[in-house]
Amino acid sequence: MSLLFDNVSYNYPGSTHGLHDVSLDVRTGELVAVIGPSGSGKSTLLKLVAGLETGHTGRIMLGGEDMSRTPVHQRHIGMVFQSYALFPHLSVLDNVAYGLKLRKVATAERRKRAQELLDIVGLGEFSQRAVAQLSGGQQQRVALARALAIDPRALLLDEPLSALDASVRGHLRDQIRSIQQRFNATTLLVTHDQEEALVMADRVAMLKDGRLLQIATPREIYENPASRAVAEFVGLSTILPAKVASPGRLDLGFAELFAETGSRSFGTPVHVLVRPEHIQPDPAPNAMNRLAGRTGAQRYLGALTRYDFEVQGAPKPFLAESPAPANEAIAVAPEHLRLLDH
Amino acid sequence: MTLETTLVRGISLIYGLYLLLPIALLLVGSVGGNWTNTLLPTGITGQWYLDLWLDTSFRKAFVSSLVVAMAACAINTVLALPLAYALYHGARRGGSLAARIVSATPVAVPAITLAFGYMIVFNTDLAPWLGSMPLLIAAHAILTLPYLTNTLLTDLRHLDLGRLEQAAATLGASGWQQFTGIVLPSLRQSLISGLVMVAAISVGEFGVSNLLTSFQNRTYPVVLLQAFYGATGFACAATVILLVLASASALLSSSLVKQRA
Repeated sequence: MSLLFDNVSYNYPGSTHGLHDVSLDVRTGELVAVIGPSGSGKSTLLKLVAGLETGHTGRIMLGGEDMSRTPVHQRHIGMVFQSYALFPHLSVLDNVAYGLKLRKVATAERRKRAQELLDIVGLGEFSQRAVAQLSGGQQQRVALARALAIDPRALLLDEPLSALDASVRGHLRDQIRSIQQRFNATTLLVTHDQEEALVMADRVAMLKDGRLLQIATPREIYENPASRAVAEFVGLSTILPAKVASPGRLDLGFAELFAETGSRSFGTPVHVLVRPEHIQPDPAPNAMNRLAGRTGAQRYLGALTRYDFEVQGAPKPFLAESPAPANEAIAVAPEHLRLLDH
Repeated sequence: MTLETTLVRGISLIYGLYLLLPIALLLVGSVGGNWTNTLLPTGITGQWYLDLWLDTSFRKAFVSSLVVAMAACAINTVLALPLAYALYHGARRGGSLAARIVSATPVAVPAITLAFGYMIVFNTDLAPWLGSMPLLIAAHAILTLPYLTNTLLTDLRHLDLGRLEQAAATLGASGWQQFTGIVLPSLRQSLISGLVMVAAISVGEFGVSNLLTSFQNRTYPVVLLQAFYGATGFACAATVILLVLASASALLSSSLVKQRA
């Protein structure tokens, strides 16, 4: 079932936080990750879909039906909370079966269904446990099973992995994604972790100050960010001010570089984006876009070393990644210099 | 062992003695035969407890105390659950003043103030209920209500019940279903422990009861005071009974709270 936001705006009373004219669509079975800094409105978006916040303008359509007037408990939308929100007085099985009980499903059948879902999330043998006996990661898997048990029209994941240890997070990320695909659940994932968004999502929507900046596939949003704000939030990068010196030439103040300037006219101010993996250490002396300098701070990451490369006159060092840091110079191929107009 | 820990232990020991010594003396006195002008009583007897058992005014007072405590518990259950629930949701919307007032009331307003107020209001021709059982029950209920409300409120916050209600709502629970299916069962233990506390406070309450009861429905502590004007051993035995009653409640209450944590 598709989920559509059509010019959705929302204001928290007495604050500037909220949403401004957000339009986006989530196709059936698609997982769209909503990312953005705190206060960007991403959680608000989720709460509006669930019905936990009300009073927006514009339309939120689920399967072609406007849900604005439907109360929370009649929306049939599964939600997974950052704090798990499992019912402490119910067993694991009864937690999962809770939504089915409300739907008057017969006891035997709902037990069977809940057990199936627990098997799917890999917690089949924990069904009779008390919730408090499970680890955080296990509790979140129960919460996922509970949300899926009602056969939801859409699935909302509100920072589902933020409360978990890094070691659990990576594994659970994959597991949630594969279960989501198996159920073909139309899913909205809210996260502040851009890496999580890139790994899990079919498309990523970036919000800032209540506005949608870009919605695109993970590859597109990483390689072709629409603006500086998106580029800064997604992935690591070096962003420097520049202006167009001539067609195909860019003036950075401390150096002139070859770049694809497109139809921008002479003197147009832009920002230039360089991803760390596109920086080539110690290129040939006659290489294009060669910049001499020295390596500053280094972080050893195993397969790679991430390092700052300081170029004389540059306002900040270039962030680079390669198996070994550069000794005296770096180069960036013209096609890897991405120009940002705003 | 450092000087500091020695000091802490020493003070704890002295304080413990200070607390326990009167209780120990009461225990000794309640089984002592003769206790006049001596440090400790002489002889051992079960006479005082037997006397107590046979004393009609004490038995009556015991029953009165239980009736008042049970009634206060019943009234508080009906009042405190919706009150705490409303305060919890009110506080989340920013109106936390009401919640703060409820939590501060038992400390800020001395019980005796309540009693004097009652004496003025209910001693008039319009409402001549001073000394009646319902008024006494009402006073105990009002007096203990903040304690129960606070216990429930703490648990509501601790469990982050608002979040659980939201989860229940997304799963299809109406407001009423959330309250009966999630809120009430989650609060069961804190409700029980809070009620035991209410009972313990009510059973031991003296000041207000002394001012508001008539001769007919005196509570146990009020009658107890009279006993001390008479035979010492008898009074000790009567106090021990009260002590057992109150501390059993307190222990039960705290063990329930512990189980929760």
